[in-house]
Amino acid sequence: MTNYTICVFTSNSIGLLNRITIIFTRRRINIESLTVSETERKGVSRFTIVIKHDSREEVEKLVRQIRKIVEVLAVFGYLNDEIVYNEIALYKLSTPLGSKTLDVETINKKHKAWVVYWGLDYVVVEKTGNETEIFDFLAYLRQQHEILEFVRSGRIAVGKTEQGLVEYLPEADWEYTL
Amino acid sequence: METTTLPELEIAPVDMKFMSGAQALMNALVAEGVDTIFGYPGGAIMPVYDALYDFQDRINHILVRHEQGAGHAAQGYARMQHRAGVCLVTSGPGATNLVTPIADALIDSTPLVCIVGQVGKKLLGTDAFQEADVMGVTMPITKWNYQITDADEVPEIMAKAFYIAQSGRPGPVLIDITKSAQLELMTKPYRYEKCRTMVSYRPRIMPKQEQVEAAAKLINKAKRPYILAGHGIKIARAEAELIALAEKAGIPVATTLLGQSTISTEHPLYVGWLGMHGNYGTNVLTDEADVIIAIGMRFDDRVTGDVSKYIKQAKVIHIEIDPAEIDKIIKADAPVVGDAKAALTALLPLIHQNDHTVWRNEFRKYDIIEHQEITVPSLSGESEKMQMGEVIDMLSRKTNGEAVLVTDVGQHQMMASRYYQFRRPNSLVTSGGMGTMGFALPAAFGAQVGAPDRQVVAIIGDGCFQMTLQELGTIVQNKQPVKAIILNNNFLGMVRQWQQLFHARRYSFVELQNPDFVTIARGFGMDGHTCAGRETLSDSLDKMLAHNGPYLLEVIVEKEENVFPMVPSGASVSQIRLK
Repeated sequence: MTNYTICVFTSNSIGLLNRITIIFTRRRINIESLTVSETERKGVSRFTIVIKHDSREEVEKLVRQIRKIVEVLAVFGYLNDEIVYNEIALYKLSTPLGSKTLDVETINKKHKAWVVYWGLDYVVVEKTGNETEIFDFLAYLRQQHEILEFVRSGRIAVGKTEQGLVEYLPEADWEYTL
Repeated sequence: METTTLPELEIAPVDMKFMSGAQALMNALVAEGVDTIFGYPGGAIMPVYDALYDFQDRINHILVRHEQGAGHAAQGYARMQHRAGVCLVTSGPGATNLVTPIADALIDSTPLVCIVGQVGKKLLGTDAFQEADVMGVTMPITKWNYQITDADEVPEIMAKAFYIAQSGRPGPVLIDITKSAQLELMTKPYRYEKCRTMVSYRPRIMPKQEQVEAAAKLINKAKRPYILAGHGIKIARAEAELIALAEKAGIPVATTLLGQSTISTEHPLYVGWLGMHGNYGTNVLTDEADVIIAIGMRFDDRVTGDVSKYIKQAKVIHIEIDPAEIDKIIKADAPVVGDAKAALTALLPLIHQNDHTVWRNEFRKYDIIEHQEITVPSLSGESEKMQMGEVIDMLSRKTNGEAVLVTDVGQHQMMASRYYQFRRPNSLVTSGGMGTMGFALPAAFGAQVGAPDRQVVAIIGDGCFQMTLQELGTIVQNKQPVKAIILNNNFLGMVRQWQQLFHARRYSFVELQNPDFVTIARGFGMDGHTCAGRETLSDSLDKMLAHNGPYLLEVIVEKEENVFPMVPSGASVSQIRLK
């Protein structure tokens, strides 16, 4: 199974998430992660969808089916080495009175993570990185503390090619927010 | 840019208020040139029906008996008119009854604009009376759907709806309009601008020149080229271009089920139709062609049989407007994305004159076998009971192959395709991809409305007929001279055939206790009679065809007749069975 990151650019409209995901469910493809946000252009949303699949051909067919959606402006399917990608994770650790002291130095220096919130008897640590780094850090924390909650944002990614979105979308039609 | 501004009187009523959403909707339909809609009123669409009351001089609303009938009628109409059929129904059950025709229209690329009422905006999501999540239900089966919750949106959304439904690969569009949006007044003057382009939706009409050149190269080098002509040719109205290409290069042409009538069955280059119950040679020889030229077709599994063994020897040219169809089932060596008419026009000057007589004669060898083994016994009139083929064959002669045939789904559908000799373009309307039983009667009605100058004959099975027979009432009320032939074998024939051949004759729930169809027709005010034997067949057909107005002819046929040739499910096309 290979990881594919599918970036879908759409005009922003209600129900579009559903319209995109049914293409996956109909083909029994499980979505590993999905994030949506508005792009540098007003009214243009970007969906980043990660799937695992063993057939490149099938992923290409999937991409073409997504492209068929009327509101979809462009779709790109990427392998991991074709993108710069990251995600963010939050770890909520139990730190009641008398528990093991938080090794902030290791957390900061080794794992590039930060404590972002101190509760009465818990803390929230934030880390960005790829899936492996985030799970390595989780494994480390597990040995030290009780994990109350753990959440990942799902992958966000940009392509490594020099082209930007502008190559694929007629510029005049979209207003920049910046 | 085309702008329609309406006369003062219609924009602003006496009190100088702007139009209501419902009025805007009616004006939008008129601006799109809609003169016929198929519908059924109900609570959540009543403001639109109220607005329609004032548009009766411009829009002919046809009241069906069930919303499914509205959908199929709109499909029949759309296929004859080459433009969107329009349905108007209410929320909840009205909308869900449209689901089958919408799914049918999507897979058979038929343009529909379905306008569906919805509960008021404030009631959305409250489980209000007759509220259903129609957007959610129809999302996977529409080309596009949209919920209008604001009267101001009406003109722009309707323009988009018609553009999307009718352009590129046509398909169904559903507009869910809340009752509040129908009732409320617009906050600005009504202004209608036809949609001609969208940022995110740009179907390619003109193919890329390099794709056309690559295709031409393959055709010019081919020794045994073979054209598979699909529904896309009808949609693009590219019949003349198809024939010009075939004639110039001497290429045999087979059609898909929906591609039938794109080329006359009498044309010397026509070799038959493809697929599970298609002709013998057309199927077997797909495995011997060296270049396949597939035009406006999508390699349905009923055409390919076992895909892993299908046309492995051939280079494939795939001319198709929908890029998602390229490489979906069959890898194309030379894809040509574009409209069939534009692509064939671009291709023609690059093609060398050719003949391929030897290759074309191959088909004739198989024709002789098929003729002797299947056609002759079916049509000889020597079997004890009447065969379906005899009815179709005689109908074909009596109508000179010029009728519009509207067929339902099953054995009679296949027999109609086998034995009707189509001589005019756009003469077959059938449910291909979805295989929707009950399609024919309402679709024939819609086809007759869409093509008043043509003889429309519906060929219907006894099972299919009972799924939508209430539309007899619509036919009678609207005085449409549809001729309906029920081929009655008292069985769900195609399922029975499979049970006989592949399930050791275990006939599981396929025998019907049928009503008296002629009495039913008479009850609706439609004339008809039963033909019980072949000695009265000719007179029966004459009587039906000469009848002024709609007519139902029930023909009693052999109970356990089978359709052959047949490519068994999962077999390769060259393993086609003659018995």
